Amino acid sequence: MTPIRPTWLAASAATALAAIALSGCAVAVRSYVDRRADFSQYRTYAWGAADTFTTGDPRLDNNTFFRDRLQKAADARFAARGFEQTETESADLVLHYHMNITQRIDVNEMDQKYGYCDDCRAEVYDAGTLTLDLVETRTGRLVWRGWSERSISGVLDKQDWMDRQVEEAVARILERLPIPRG
Amino acid sequence: MKPPPPQSVRMLVTVLIAALLAGAGAACAARHAGSYVERSMDFAQYRSYDWAPPDPLPPEDPRLAENAYFQDYVEGAVQRGLAQKGFGDEPVTDPDLLIHYHASVTRRIAVDPFDRARGGACYDEACGVRVMEFDAGMLILDVLDARTGRLVWRGWARHGVADILRSPDRMAAAINDAVAGMLATMPGGAQLAARAALEKGGPR
Repeated sequence: MTPIRPTWLAASAATALAAIALSGCAVAVRSYVDRRADFSQYRTYAWGAADTFTTGDPRLDNNTFFRDRLQKAADARFAARGFEQTETESADLVLHYHMNITQRIDVNEMDQKYGYCDDCRAEVYDAGTLTLDLVETRTGRLVWRGWSERSISGVLDKQDWMDRQVEEAVARILERLPIPRG
Repeated sequence: MKPPPPQSVRMLVTVLIAALLAGAGAACAARHAGSYVERSMDFAQYRSYDWAPPDPLPPEDPRLAENAYFQDYVEGAVQRGLAQKGFGDEPVTDPDLLIHYHASVTRRIAVDPFDRARGGACYDEACGVRVMEFDAGMLILDVLDARTGRLVWRGWARHGVADILRSPDRMAAAINDAVAGMLATMPGGAQLAARAALEKGGPR
C-alpha cells in the first residue's frame, strides 16, 4: 500500500485553512498611540468632517447608511468609556474615520513549496481597511490611530452584513483605546 | 473493515476541502445588484419624484456618464421602473423624492481559473496563475427625501464595461437588467402600485 505523503496532507490542510481564513474573513486590528499624550485629560469628542475622496468602492462613497451605522457604533463605545459628544470647537478630541477598499491577490504557495498542490488556485479578494483617528483639538496632533483590516468580499452586497461588520470592526478597534472603561 | 485505498482517501479529502471552500465562497458570493435603505422610513408616503444633479461622489466615468445612449437608457429604465412601482409615470416639479445616478468604473483584477477547470489539481509548471484586468462598471441610483435632503435608498448594480460598450442593444439590455435588479429591492412596489391604481379608479 502506498502511504499518503505527509506533505500532501499538510498542503491540503493548509490550503483549506488558508481558504477558510480568507473567505471567512480573518481580521487584523492594530493601533498607534502618541505616547506623549495624556489620555486621562480627554473627556469630550466630536466627529470631524467626512472624507471627500473615494473609498475604492462606489457603493461606499457618500454612503450615509454606512456613516450612520459606524458613528452610532462608535458613539456607543465612547459613551461606555465615559466620553461626552460635543461641538467640534469645544471637544478635546476630533474623531475621523476613513474607509479604504483595495483588491488583493492571495496566491497559494504550496505548489512552489511541495511541487504539487490540489485545488490549486489564487484568490482575489477585496481588502477593507477601516481607520479611526483621534486628533487633539487644541494642538491638531494625531494622538491615536486604530484600524481594522479584513477581507470584505461580498460584505457590501448585503446591508445587514455590512452593518454587522461595521459594528464588529468599530468595537474591536476601540477596544484598543488607551482609556479605561467608564 | 478494510481501510480505503490511498486514492479514495485523497478523493475524500479533496471533496471535503472542495465542500469547505464552496461553503466559505458561498458566504462571500458576489451579487449583481442590491440596495441600501433607511429602515426607519415609511416609503408609502412617497408618491412622486424628480431628477436632481448628482453629488460629487461617487466619481463618474466619462465613458458612461457622458454617453448620451447610456444616459437615455438609464433614465428611461429608471422612469419605467419607478412607474411600475407606483411612483408616477414621469418626474414632477414638486416631488416627494429626488433621484440621481452615478456611473463609476473601477479597474479590477481576476485570476484565470483554468487549473480548476482541468479537474481541480495541477502539477509543477501547470500551477501558474494568470491575472487579468478588466473595467468593472457600477451604476448607483440614489433616492433622497426631497423635504429633508436625506438619502433614503441607494440601489447599485455592476456589470463589465466592455460588454456595456459593445453595442447600443447590449448596453440597453445590460441597463434594463441592472435597473430592474436594483429596483426589485426597493420598498414600495406592489402595495404602493396597488394603492395608486385604486386611487386612479376612484372611490367605490
